Amino acid sequence: MNYQFPFTRITGQEHAKKALLCALVCDEIRNILILGDPGTAKSTLVRSVESLTNEKKVITIPQNITYDRLLGMIDLEKAITSGSIQVHYGILKEGNNQILYADDINLMDEGVIQCILTTSETGQYLLEREGLSQLVSTRFTFIASMDPSEGKLSSGQLDRFDLCIRTDHITDSEMRSEIVRKSLNFETSPDAFILECEKETETLKRSILKAKERLPYVSIPDGHADLISSLCVELGIEGYRGDIAVARTAKALAALDQRDDVMFDDIKLAALLALEHRRGEYKERPPHPPKSEKEESSEQDLGKNRSKEQKNPDAIPEYQQGEKEQKKQEQNHISIPPQERFFDIGSPFEVIRYLDENTWQETQKQKSGRRSRVISSDSSGHYRSFRFPGRYRNDIAIDATIRAAAPHQQIRSSNGLAISVKKSDIREKVREKKIGHTILFLVDASGSMGVQKRMIAVKGAILSLLNDSYQKRDRVGLMIFRGDSADLLLPPTRSPDIAANLLKSIPTGGKTPLAKGITEGYLLLTRGKFAASGENKSIVLLTDGRGNVPLTKNSTREELRDVARKIAGRGVRFVVVDTECGFPRLGRALILARDLDGSYFRLEDLSIHGLAACVNDVLYSYR
Amino acid sequence: MKEDILVYPFSAIVGQQDMKDALLANIIYPSIGGVLIRGEKGTAKSTTVRAAADLLPERNVMKGCIFRCDIDDPRNLCESCREKIATGEKPVLEYSRMRVVELPLCATEDRVAGTLDIEQAITRGIKKFEPGVLAMANGNILYVDEVNLLDDHIVDLLLDAAAMGVNFVEREGISYAHPARFLLVGTMNPEEGDLRPQLLDRFGLVVDVKGEKDNQERSEIVKRRLEFERDPVAFCTSFQAEQQAIRDQIIKAKQIIAELRPDDLLINTAVKISLSLGVDGHRSDITLVKAALAFAALDGRKEVNSSDVIKAAGLSLPHRMRRRPFEESTMDITSVRGIIESCYQGS
Repeated sequence: MNYQFPFTRITGQEHAKKALLCALVCDEIRNILILGDPGTAKSTLVRSVESLTNEKKVITIPQNITYDRLLGMIDLEKAITSGSIQVHYGILKEGNNQILYADDINLMDEGVIQCILTTSETGQYLLEREGLSQLVSTRFTFIASMDPSEGKLSSGQLDRFDLCIRTDHITDSEMRSEIVRKSLNFETSPDAFILECEKETETLKRSILKAKERLPYVSIPDGHADLISSLCVELGIEGYRGDIAVARTAKALAALDQRDDVMFDDIKLAALLALEHRRGEYKERPPHPPKSEKEESSEQDLGKNRSKEQKNPDAIPEYQQGEKEQKKQEQNHISIPPQERFFDIGSPFEVIRYLDENTWQETQKQKSGRRSRVISSDSSGHYRSFRFPGRYRNDIAIDATIRAAAPHQQIRSSNGLAISVKKSDIREKVREKKIGHTILFLVDASGSMGVQKRMIAVKGAILSLLNDSYQKRDRVGLMIFRGDSADLLLPPTRSPDIAANLLKSIPTGGKTPLAKGITEGYLLLTRGKFAASGENKSIVLLTDGRGNVPLTKNSTREELRDVARKIAGRGVRFVVVDTECGFPRLGRALILARDLDGSYFRLEDLSIHGLAACVNDVLYSYR
Repeated sequence: MKEDILVYPFSAIVGQQDMKDALLANIIYPSIGGVLIRGEKGTAKSTTVRAAADLLPERNVMKGCIFRCDIDDPRNLCESCREKIATGEKPVLEYSRMRVVELPLCATEDRVAGTLDIEQAITRGIKKFEPGVLAMANGNILYVDEVNLLDDHIVDLLLDAAAMGVNFVEREGISYAHPARFLLVGTMNPEEGDLRPQLLDRFGLVVDVKGEKDNQERSEIVKRRLEFERDPVAFCTSFQAEQQAIRDQIIKAKQIIAELRPDDLLINTAVKISLSLGVDGHRSDITLVKAALAFAALDGRKEVNSSDVIKAAGLSLPHRMRRRPFEESTMDITSVRGIIESCYQGS
């Protein structure tokens, strides 16, 4: 019984359908990625493929698969009964000539993804586990789907996918109604629903078979072959996988259309399916393609500076505008001028908008996934693999232990059990969990120069980092120091809403208790609940380095140096952003950064690149 | 086990109509896809969910099946039940009440998804699957308190199972798949962090509960609670009639919903609303339609009216509106109401 939603009844999503059909026609198209927002029929599409073929099944690779089931392991029962070591193959081999499907591939273990992609490309993998050593050959089509807002794949991983499609947003009301109707009908009476479109399904099945037969005879005319390569060069595609994928897909498309010659349109569509994700970084579709009136108006509210930009034909860069504005504010001293609100809310959004741009993605993407997973030292997290145990054997990997013991059962005395386990057999679980960063912004809110500008940049950066923190499981907090105290305005949080509310008003003015600020910030992250979390901890310090309130009676500068040197390198990373501007430059922040063993930036240099991008760059770079 | 500890009766909960309706709608029409209850601490979130256990309907299940396969739902039988039916064996049935299966925050991956049966492996040397929480949850309510604090990898597991209604286990040497169709009910306090959007989207309805502001109602809440604590048995007995009334309502609504089909007006209205709000994906349309049907059925009607749709829209749409970061997420309920009313006026 086949209870998948039938392929022929899926409304819209023509590109995705074409890509899947191509994969069915051409076995050489091995890896397909489907991107899309939640609820846009990604997995329905993939699973429906089963209704189009008699011999292929869609085998699901679950999120938390372990290597023994992926690659293969020793056959436990055989090992115990006969003592012989034989392979019990994993899902990659079981999927030979089938279709493997992984949903939410961006959440999967990097090693597993790599394993699957390499295997599907080369058609074989080397099994070296538990005394087994074998070259296993297998051929399958791999289809993956994911919601890009949950995390991204590296460009290397993306390049392995022959085709990559984004599901369409269907905005046509007729079509949407149709979708609702069909899905409810299918739910209430699946049999009748499938029966209804049986004819169509059969026709499509036959045309796939025909196309498959025709495929070896399909050729690409010389002129068109050149077109493919020039297209790839023009689009700046690295490597040759793109060229090959386009050629294969174009052929499959021609075969589906019952032609022996590839036409221009085939190549056009093939390029769309095969090259889009290879163009440097794949472009994010803006989150709101259909803009309702409400959104439009809210956008205007939030990003007034943008509309101002349009009015200003010579378009002064955002940052310089801020500077001008700020000079005005300085004249007004610290009393909050009416313009403050304008920049307060405007600038953060400018930074966030910047997140969508390609260059930003480049810096952010390469570092995401790998960083966010660590081997867990306690028994929490996902069981990934096993190892010979260390000193403490608390978290025993039962399955691996039994498999290790199995081959020896013939010669061991059994004392009533089927398996006797010796100490040497014991294996321990290696668990892995995702962790994020705790980033504390420590901001000099004293009355010294440039406080407004500093605040704008900081707010922008915090909001940007928070926005991004969901994907990375980061926590962002804000502490300011002024007068004679350091206040925690925003305890490290993952919730953007709370943060946004708190950030609306930040008090400024007063003296600069720099040493106190650093100490308090450090203590916050190293004591109490944030200390135990096992997360990476960082402090982004925005100051001009001119502390003028000592903790004790000593000289402020000496004291600061002592504090900084004491704290440096003790579990918290520092990024110092120098807010000093104008003359004379004292360069105290640079000295502080050296003492803290941290990275150093000047706020002025950051300008349009945004503080967030630079901070991210430092924090997420490989240490 | 459950009988020993008396739960606070559902009908004795004061106010919180939205939360109660959302739960009941899901009970009579599980494919709505569960409910997430968001609210401050102490707003009877968990109490209501636990109280619902007492009202759950009975169903026909295969006797002896650990997954409690529902015979009336032949699409989602486990392997052994399917085999039994295929071989023509006459299925032995028993009545079993739907249960609330709780997923504690500290649950480990192997207990949630199921794992290798250690005893069988050691004593008999065979690989056998030991079912976990997802197996127990099949056909039942899976309740996660503080769902926003659930570990990431457990959430991934839930999402995986919820997507297909099947729990695929490929780990620790075990390869197994079993039906895991559950009604996901979660409660959370939004102050403690957000839920991942992906998980949020899996919840059919979302209810935001607030503490009752009305003085009289507040004192009534306190009064009832104290009464319950003093003598739970007497308290429960005094609400027996009300409880039975809700049970009857559920049974009747289930019968109605089995016959109820959405008309074009309802579907078109749902689509119109989604489009006007710019909601991604199609789950919102489908859930809105289903919820409206369920509310009509709960009211004993066979026709959906505009107030059903308004209620359904209020519970099924706000959490699906993809918003910009830091934008206040308030759905313009009056404009939605306007759309619904203008659609229904014409008919």
